[in-house]
Amino acid sequence: MPLSRVIFILITLGLPFAFYAVFVLWPFVQAFVYSLTNWSGFSDQFEFVGLSNYTALLKDDIFLKAVRNNLLLALVVPFVTIVLALALATMVTVGGSSTGAVRGLSRSSFYRIVSFFPYTIPAIVIGLIWSQMFDPSAGLVNAVLTGLGLDKFESFAWLGEVSTAMPVTMFVIIWGFVGFYMVLFIAAIKGIPAELYDAARVDGAGRVRMTFMVTLPMVRDTIQTAYIYLGILALDAFVYMAALNASGGPQNSTLTMTQDLFNTAFKKGQFGMASAMGVVLALLTLLFAAIVFAVNRYTGGKDNR
Amino acid sequence: MTVRGNQVDRRSILRIAMAGGVAIPALTLAGCATGGGDSSDDSSTSTGGGTKSDTNPFGLADSGAVEAVIFNGGYGFDYVTFAADVAKKNHSGVTFGVKPSTQIAQELQPRFVGGNPPDLIDNSGANSIGLNTIADQLEDLSDVFEAKNLEGTTIKDTLYAGVEAPGTINGKLVAINYVQTIYAIWYSASLFEANGWTPPKTWDEAIKLGADAKAKGKFLMLWGKEAATYYQTLAIGSAIKEGGDEVRLALENLKPDCWSHAAVQGVFKALETIIKNGYMKPGGGGTQFTAAQAQWSNGQEALLYPSGSWIENEMKDQTKADFKMTGVPEMTVSASPKMPYEALHSAAGEPFIVPSKAKNVAGGKELLRTMLSKEAATNFAKTKLAPTIVKDTVPEDGFGSTALQSQGKMLKDAGDGVFTWNFVDNYGMNQDMLVPWNAFLSGQIDAAKLTAELQKITDKVANDPQVKKVEVK
Repeated sequence: MPLSRVIFILITLGLPFAFYAVFVLWPFVQAFVYSLTNWSGFSDQFEFVGLSNYTALLKDDIFLKAVRNNLLLALVVPFVTIVLALALATMVTVGGSSTGAVRGLSRSSFYRIVSFFPYTIPAIVIGLIWSQMFDPSAGLVNAVLTGLGLDKFESFAWLGEVSTAMPVTMFVIIWGFVGFYMVLFIAAIKGIPAELYDAARVDGAGRVRMTFMVTLPMVRDTIQTAYIYLGILALDAFVYMAALNASGGPQNSTLTMTQDLFNTAFKKGQFGMASAMGVVLALLTLLFAAIVFAVNRYTGGKDNR
Repeated sequence: MTVRGNQVDRRSILRIAMAGGVAIPALTLAGCATGGGDSSDDSSTSTGGGTKSDTNPFGLADSGAVEAVIFNGGYGFDYVTFAADVAKKNHSGVTFGVKPSTQIAQELQPRFVGGNPPDLIDNSGANSIGLNTIADQLEDLSDVFEAKNLEGTTIKDTLYAGVEAPGTINGKLVAINYVQTIYAIWYSASLFEANGWTPPKTWDEAIKLGADAKAKGKFLMLWGKEAATYYQTLAIGSAIKEGGDEVRLALENLKPDCWSHAAVQGVFKALETIIKNGYMKPGGGGTQFTAAQAQWSNGQEALLYPSGSWIENEMKDQTKADFKMTGVPEMTVSASPKMPYEALHSAAGEPFIVPSKAKNVAGGKELLRTMLSKEAATNFAKTKLAPTIVKDTVPEDGFGSTALQSQGKMLKDAGDGVFTWNFVDNYGMNQDMLVPWNAFLSGQIDAAKLTAELQKITDKVANDPQVKKVEVK
């Protein structure tokens, strides 16, 4: 290999790989090593304790509760967000008048812009705004409900009741993301050749049938990507939780693994245990992505070729 | 340009990359990042290179720098800057740097690991470092108490009784807590006067007052979700007065069934009645705590609020004019408690620590000594409306603050009957305890379930071999 070539490879592959190794792989390995220790986080000394952090986690009902909450989030949030975003995207692209060219509802560009607004607000601000909206005494939500004569909602703590805290939290996350995924799906749907819709319509397909027989199969790879992004977000969700219920919610009903990890590391001074939680979270994230890929493949996705 | 022929194909590059991904970390695995700390033993930590004398008891060198990182919370950090300016006058060659921080643990964690922590830290706030975690790495500060202050009096003779207790871990004074905090029940003297109410001395009186409040369309108490454990502080304080030291020791040493003690249960039952009767403002579990406190101090929707004496400063901008915030000691369960009603839960707060590995240990101690001088302590009391651990810095009129006046009165009435406890902070349990307390105050669980949940949290710490225990006698 000529020298110039070696230099070329070193620069194009070696340099990025070095960065990747130092800033991604190395911290992974470090976290794993720490997860086998009893490191407090504030000294340079620790002992190796084997897998005892992991066995302790399996018996830690607060952590297990957090895992369950995260799984619930990863099930509900991507599904609802994608269904809503897809429905809206269909409306503004192909849901319009059934005469003439295939098009969206009238004024669809206006809807598109409006529904994108929430995404332009930082997550922490979304969380803070909604926590004010759901304030039991001074919040807009309860003011509207009591104004309608529903006295039951006087001082009702949406984020403080076990039955409502998680649904409300999910609502806030979904509210923040529907607009973005709608725009993503619009781009995907615009990429579908119009002839397909025309042909389907000539064959007598209605809007619903067109959605299921044309749109969905053509954008399923985009859906898969969206599902994985949203799933990873739901497995983290730290920002929203910190703003809505920093202490884990009523009876830990909205506690997430990331919150538990943060408390364990910085408040309890058990970095070894916290690292073990991080490893579990990483494994669950990988597992989630693998499941989404597998489901897409076995239901006849594009990757099957 | 196309590249053809004998070339490295995509697959082999990926293969190399994969191998590298495994090999590089494996090679460096041996040298853990934590090994980066400077482990050279500084045997000269006790002296700073200068000559020791009464005016320079720690031997601070004539030149150099002192770095202080101060929690920038309710009290700000300007009081340390004030002390640094005073210290600068006495040590003109030394530079004193005072930096504010609200994320003590996150900011200083890498510096503790790296072995170059600052010389003085105010380890306070929601993101403070668990004292128990770093106790081994801190200087014993008893020589600061033994030293003479700037006015020439030995410092320990100028302090309130028992101030060393919260900073002492297994016999070593690792932290000097600077601010004297009083935990009490706070109310509006003007509102009580207008309605002819008196602050309750027992829980039965409190329940009766709750009925009076309800008749006026008000609640007895309220809470905010991040501060639900203020009621735990109230409950423990009240239970210790009722049952005496045995209650305190059982809790401090995380004894099994410590929450089932009759005195603790008495308080829980009373609180349960208050919640069941609707005297506790609902919705606190979803209300941000300062918003909830404003409903008390500005909206006057509830009569009583249990809190530490920082409450006046914290709610300064959100307190109704002529509120006349006043504190009284916690209620007792029965009319004949083991400790008198006047006994007071008071503890020094704002723990200042000096890490042993700091570059200028003498400088950290010298700054601390300056803060404990009459001049600096009086400045604190005057600007923050809170007493420090230094006695006699608050005049009779409390600089015009009713809350400060009542603090002086409570401290005087209590005499030697001052107590506190540390187990919640030592083991970082507050976060876990917030959960059952929010549920209990919302009426979702009853006193029995609250007891079980709290016991579970304490048992977990007690049975965790990884957690170093602090024995309290």
